[in-house]
Formats: sequence, structure tokens, C-alpha cells
Amino acid sequence: MTKLVPNPNESAWRRNFGISFPLDISYISIGIACGILLHAAGFNTFNTILVSLLVFSGGVQFLIASMLTINSPLLTIVLMLFFLELRYALLGSSLSKYLHGQSILFMFLFSCSMNDENYAVNYLKFSTDKKFTPRDALQIEHWTLLFWTLSNFVGSVVGSAVKIDLTVVHFALTALFLFMIVMQVKSLLKVMIAFLAAFLAIFFLVLTKSTLGLVCATLIASFVGFLIDNYLRRRRIKTHHKSRLIKMFKNPAGTPKE
Amino acid sequence: MEWNGMQHFLLVLLCFLVALIPRFVPLFFFRKRKIPKWFNEWMEFVPICLFTSLVVKDLFITKTYAFSIAGTIPELIASVVVIAVAFWTRSMALSVIVGLALVFLLAIVL
Repeated sequence: MTKLVPNPNESAWRRNFGISFPLDISYISIGIACGILLHAAGFNTFNTILVSLLVFSGGVQFLIASMLTINSPLLTIVLMLFFLELRYALLGSSLSKYLHGQSILFMFLFSCSMNDENYAVNYLKFSTDKKFTPRDALQIEHWTLLFWTLSNFVGSVVGSAVKIDLTVVHFALTALFLFMIVMQVKSLLKVMIAFLAAFLAIFFLVLTKSTLGLVCATLIASFVGFLIDNYLRRRRIKTHHKSRLIKMFKNPAGTPKE
Repeated sequence: MEWNGMQHFLLVLLCFLVALIPRFVPLFFFRKRKIPKWFNEWMEFVPICLFTSLVVKDLFITKTYAFSIAGTIPELIASVVVIAVAFWTRSMALSVIVGLALVFLLAIVL
């Protein structure tokens, strides 16, 4: 905060704080809710802080809380979490092209605190902002981690004294994902693939009765999208016929600076 | 079975491990290797599919993994508005705040 020593790092921290801010805000409510739930499931404050730091996933921590309250055995919980976390393999792979040549330590730190939401922000920044570096991405992860852990701590302390409508709080994350979808939809093909993914998600979630359905739907829908995209691009080279499907949409809020 | 703090601690450590493996291995694998072009093109479609699946799970799938929209009418209405707000404003904060406010109000009204 001091203006006497101009530190380029500090301004980066602050800039990244600004980028992560909407996430931080939505983490406060859901983090407190998560802390309250973990407390209700019997977690003490130390373990709540630890799980927030090490696992850092709203979905997983809510799952731990709900499975503890129905007295699931340890192995079942861990196995369920593994399937829930399996989709991060896809996230990690899709970010890897931006993280080329980083050290093992960096990769380790980066994967430790990567989750759905900060991945979404980082992916968006990497794909739209050429000046965005892996360091910035890690800083955004750490900002969100800080807010997440503090909120969980507050929730754990507040404990069962306060009742919060969790469905309303949870919608903050749904709204965030909807925003990300809208940002990602850049062609008619992507709209169609999103609908395919929605249909497949319902089908596989009901079929598998687990979050494994999310993995199936994502894998199949994205692969179909890739195949169609590839076919249309090849045909364009051969016949010079430009398909309307892969034509980029005009941005209603103006063209973003690439 | 009644869990104690030590067992919770063990659970947290195991969760850390199973959470870390799927995140770390792909990043590590592609650290120095050149990623094939087709793989990148495929991954272009992963975020949109994943986010759609997660939203669909929140809106259309119950806790017991059945298809139902009965319990999420306010969320569904709010979702349509959030999509519109996101499309026209491109603002993440505004989308989330409008969505939350709407769900809160609709939950009272409906």
C-alpha cells in the first residue's frame, strides 16, 4: 500500500485481486455456508481450515459434510470424491498449453489450488488477455483460496447459531457458471454443443446416479463438438464453403480487445 | 460410527490426495511435451460442456439424481435473466448479483 517504493509485484497483486474479486465475493457467502455445514457434520475448526486449504472445492466440502451426516464409511467418501475430482483432469489439460515450461513446483502449487471457478476465470483471461501470465493465474488462485478459507473459518465459528438458506447461496455459483457459458459461446456450433451437453448431462446423471455423469457428458459433448468443428474446417479448406455454424458471433457489447 | 477429530484429519489428508492426483498429473504430463493440435482443439469445447453440465445438475437434477424441475422454479427463471444480463452487459459481478437478488425475491413470492 505504500507509495514510497514502487513495486511492480504489488500492483500485479492488486490487479489480480480486482480480477478475482467477483469470485471472492461469491465465495464469502458460500464459504460461510460451507463452514457452518462442516461444523454441523462434526468437523472442528482446525479440520475445517485444513480441508479448505488442501481440497479447496465447494462441491467436495459440501459432499463431505452431507456424507458425514449420513454416516458413510471413509472409503466410500474418498472414492466419491475421486470421481468428483476426476473432471479436473480435463480442466488441467485444457490449461496446460498456457502453462508450458513452468517448474514442477509451480505446477504443484497451481494444481493444489485450482478449482472450477478460478479455472473458469483463468481460462477466460488466458484466452482473451495476451499479457496474462501463469504467475497472475496462480495469484488469482491464491486470492480465491484466501477468501474461501477465511469464509469457511468464519462459518465454522458461527456454527449452528445461524440458519442460512443454502439454495439461494448456492445459486451464486450457478449464476457464475451461466456467465462463463455465455462468455464461451462464440459460434452457433458452440450453442448446439452446449445443448447437447445439457441433454447428455441429464441422461448420464440419472443413469449413473453420481457426479460421474458430469464427466461422461463433458467428454462426449466436447468430443462431438471437436469432430464437427474439424469436419467443417476441412470442408472449408477444400470447397471454400464457409459454414454458418463456425462463424463467430458479433459481440453485443462491442469487440473485445484481443 | 461416531467420527472423532483424528479420523476427520485422516479423511482430509486422503481427500487432499485424491483431489491432487487428477489436477496435477495432466499438468505435469504436458509440462515439456508438445500438446497435439487435435487435443487442444478438443479442449476448446471442454469448458462450455463442463459448465453446462454443472448448471444442468444444479437446475434439473435432484439430490437423489432424478430429473425434476419442481424444486427449482425460482432458479430457472433467474437463470434465464442471468443469461440475458451476461449476454448484454458482459459483467460477471452484475450477472451474479442480479441472479442472487432474483432468486431471493422469487423464493419469497413463489
